[in-house]
Amino acid sequence: MGSVNFGNFAQLLADGIFNGTAYGLIGVGFSIILSVSGRFHIAYAMTYTLAAYVAAWMGTQFGMPFWPALLIGALAAAVAGALMERLIYLPLSLRALSVGSDPLLIMFVASLGLTVILRNGIALATLSQSSVNIQGFSNQGLNWGPITVTTLNLTMFVTTWVLVFGLWALLNLTSLGRMVRAVRANWEMSLCVGIDPSLIFVAVFVIGSFFSGVAGVFSATFSSATPELGLNGPFFYALVVAFVAGLTSGPIRIALVGVALGVVEAMSTLFLPTQFTPLVVFAILFFYVALRPVNFKELRRKMLPKAQVAT
Amino acid sequence: MIGMDVPQLIQTSATYADNIMIFVVFAFSLNLLQGYAGQVSVAPAAFGAIGGYTLGYLVINDTSILNTPLGALLPMIIGMFGAAIVGALVAFPALRLTTEWLILLTLAVQTIVISLVQTVSKLGGTYGLQNISTGTYAGLQVFGKSLDQPADMFPLFLVLTLIVAAVCWRMGESPYGRVLRGIREDEIACRSLGKNVFLYKTVVFGVTAGMAGLAGAMQVINISVASPPLFDFSISSTIVAMVVIGGAGNLWGSIIGVAVLVLMEPLFEHVLNFGADQAALWRLIAFGAMLIIVLLVRPAGLLPDKVTRSLGKTLAKTKDKPDDFVPHPDLEEMHVIEEHLTPADKVQVMPRAVAIADKNSNGQSAGTAVTGTADVVLTVKGLSKRFGGIVAAENLDIELRRGTITALVGPNGAGKTTVFNLITGAIRPDAGEVFLGGENIVGLTPDKVAKRGMARSFQAVRIFPRLSVLENVALGVQHQPGEKIVQLFGNIPRTMKVEKEVRERSREWLSFVGMADFVDQPAGGLAFGQQKLVALARVLATEAEVLLLDEPASGIDHQWVNVMLGLIEQIREQGRTVCIVEHNLHVVERLADHTYFMELGRITAQGSFAELTTDKRLAEAYFGTA
Repeated sequence: MGSVNFGNFAQLLADGIFNGTAYGLIGVGFSIILSVSGRFHIAYAMTYTLAAYVAAWMGTQFGMPFWPALLIGALAAAVAGALMERLIYLPLSLRALSVGSDPLLIMFVASLGLTVILRNGIALATLSQSSVNIQGFSNQGLNWGPITVTTLNLTMFVTTWVLVFGLWALLNLTSLGRMVRAVRANWEMSLCVGIDPSLIFVAVFVIGSFFSGVAGVFSATFSSATPELGLNGPFFYALVVAFVAGLTSGPIRIALVGVALGVVEAMSTLFLPTQFTPLVVFAILFFYVALRPVNFKELRRKMLPKAQVAT
Repeated sequence: MIGMDVPQLIQTSATYADNIMIFVVFAFSLNLLQGYAGQVSVAPAAFGAIGGYTLGYLVINDTSILNTPLGALLPMIIGMFGAAIVGALVAFPALRLTTEWLILLTLAVQTIVISLVQTVSKLGGTYGLQNISTGTYAGLQVFGKSLDQPADMFPLFLVLTLIVAAVCWRMGESPYGRVLRGIREDEIACRSLGKNVFLYKTVVFGVTAGMAGLAGAMQVINISVASPPLFDFSISSTIVAMVVIGGAGNLWGSIIGVAVLVLMEPLFEHVLNFGADQAALWRLIAFGAMLIIVLLVRPAGLLPDKVTRSLGKTLAKTKDKPDDFVPHPDLEEMHVIEEHLTPADKVQVMPRAVAIADKNSNGQSAGTAVTGTADVVLTVKGLSKRFGGIVAAENLDIELRRGTITALVGPNGAGKTTVFNLITGAIRPDAGEVFLGGENIVGLTPDKVAKRGMARSFQAVRIFPRLSVLENVALGVQHQPGEKIVQLFGNIPRTMKVEKEVRERSREWLSFVGMADFVDQPAGGLAFGQQKLVALARVLATEAEVLLLDEPASGIDHQWVNVMLGLIEQIREQGRTVCIVEHNLHVVERLADHTYFMELGRITAQGSFAELTTDKRLAEAYFGTA
């Protein structure tokens, strides 16, 4: 709450933008996985956590500096994501189709299983350590007029936008990107033009999990790594951002929705006690889903497929 | 377990039994919602929280609520109703959502409920409401019996679980459950058969949320605490896992799923002798691994429901030999069967349709001769619809006459199927009127239109694949008391008697279309042509006076076309009013008494088929010059 003056407002705005950038990063990664492969990938939360542990381990064990540790952590997340797709989701989706079950629900439950295994596996492996910290980043506060930002915030902000624009370029300017978009639009059809959707699924798992890994390492650098790091907060934010932005939206738009969400969340503290902020986010989600207007464009496409072809 | 004395052993066993029953109630409620009605929820524990916290709050704030003979049962029931009301409210936004959005919505509900109970200080914040039973003077009791020990709760929990099981079984394995499974398979088809899908969904959301609320109240009684971790997302996901592992759509499967997951705890703690810290972690890892293994080995769960099981087998078989299906011999000899049918047989097969025919004063066989004279059953006046710049229908005037077949023909994109969508209420027209039996039905929903006696079929059949052939047709039968929740529980003998008649009548419709030998097969395993026949039987079973058939002969091979056309002619002979959308001009030539020609949303010609084909412009543009 507190008094609303310009400095207060500006600081909240800055906090919102920085938090929101992190939401955007995880939202982009989650949505490319879900929209292309159709996997409701809750274990996304665990590639996020895994990267943080790997990066921390690289620092403590090998004295690795921050950036290489971040990269290795994110790559470990990417590999883990690709393995999940290849070893679990893909065989499972083929099995699900063979009995006529809803593959989405089955993927969801399998993903739940993966999450539980990884969360408790990490807890088991680090049973003796209370918290695990990421080494090698000296965080400093900078005063910009009325607001304070940290170098870590700025680093994360720049990294995120580099990744987001990089993904945009990948999707729109390369042949891999064209294939990803083709599979997203219709994977069965993409088979007919010689694209192997199962490879594209692996590709989006690599990309999405890499994004989650980068976000996870930054998050652990702010505080420390715990087995719960990616669960609850980050995963839910990824979901909200991805769905509110629209699953098939481009990465820039999704990241901007993340920023907007962060700002709304920060501003809500002007009116509500801070413990209510998660409620604000979920209330936004609830009303967005509940009042989501009928998608008229989609409806028209379904009702009049022939007419559109004719015109 | 070694080293426990007998009373201790009884209490320990009762603890697990109590736990199993609590989760059986949770799992049954979710299975009814998800396995039967196909509405995914990841928030069962949130509704449990509503029930449990209601109970805890009521007891802690005013222990006099326990002074009725019902004792702790009264706040439990209040909690149950509270959860049911919230559940029905959540159903409203959930009504038109697909699976991924439902997951998202229920996840939001789950998180909102838990965040709320955590932030509201009157509900104890993160610690929750503690010492619910010991805070009261006499402790909790029901009908004077104390609920101090796990073994004391056992009888109460058993009775409650049995009641919930009976309700779930009655709602799931009955005509009501048939509608729910129909909704799971295809909502649009359900509405076209006169089912009020929104009402069913709201009721099932409310009832299952109430059951979850009851389970939550049981849990709070069980451990005397109402706290956020008891009802958080991980509990909800465990319940989802129990249902999926056990087999969605099968209540026995849920019991197995619950027992397996609950009993993993003593297995790891007492039998495998892990330390407490490690045991909990290993147990969860094993749980996760088991989830994945079960899904990989048995994607439909340990005990899939009957139809899914046999559908899986059928699909596996057809994968090996794709094209070895031959039509049933009865079908090829259809004409023979027709000749053998005495008029009395036909009365039996088509009771209502014949009654309608008898009402017609002209009585004799309907055909081209009566086109001009038969009464008009359906009148469409000035019907228009635009989608943005696209004219789907412009100022259409159509009349359907009793006992005749009217055809809508025209090129792709002319708006023929849109006409069906407009007059059945699937799309609301911008302007115009549709009179069915003198009543303007514009603005009615498809289910209400179907109830008023106009039913449609779909070009893409829209069969219910994971329902048996008989169940598909039974869903078409109207006025079933077993499909109404009040009668389902209020008048069991009558619902059973009617259900017998419904099954009998469905069999008759299936023998009418020559599919009597397939009654128990899953419809999804049939060949496309057979599915079209089942879909025809289904729409006939509605006994609607007006039948709108969307390309009944398309996509099926030659010998089936003849069978199908023969059946439609018989339907006309029974005095029903038929309108077909058709591309195949041979079909139109053979069937249609009157033909409307549509181009780009407008009717540009009408008359007998012969008249249309002699029209020079149409002949050149569409029919091909002779």
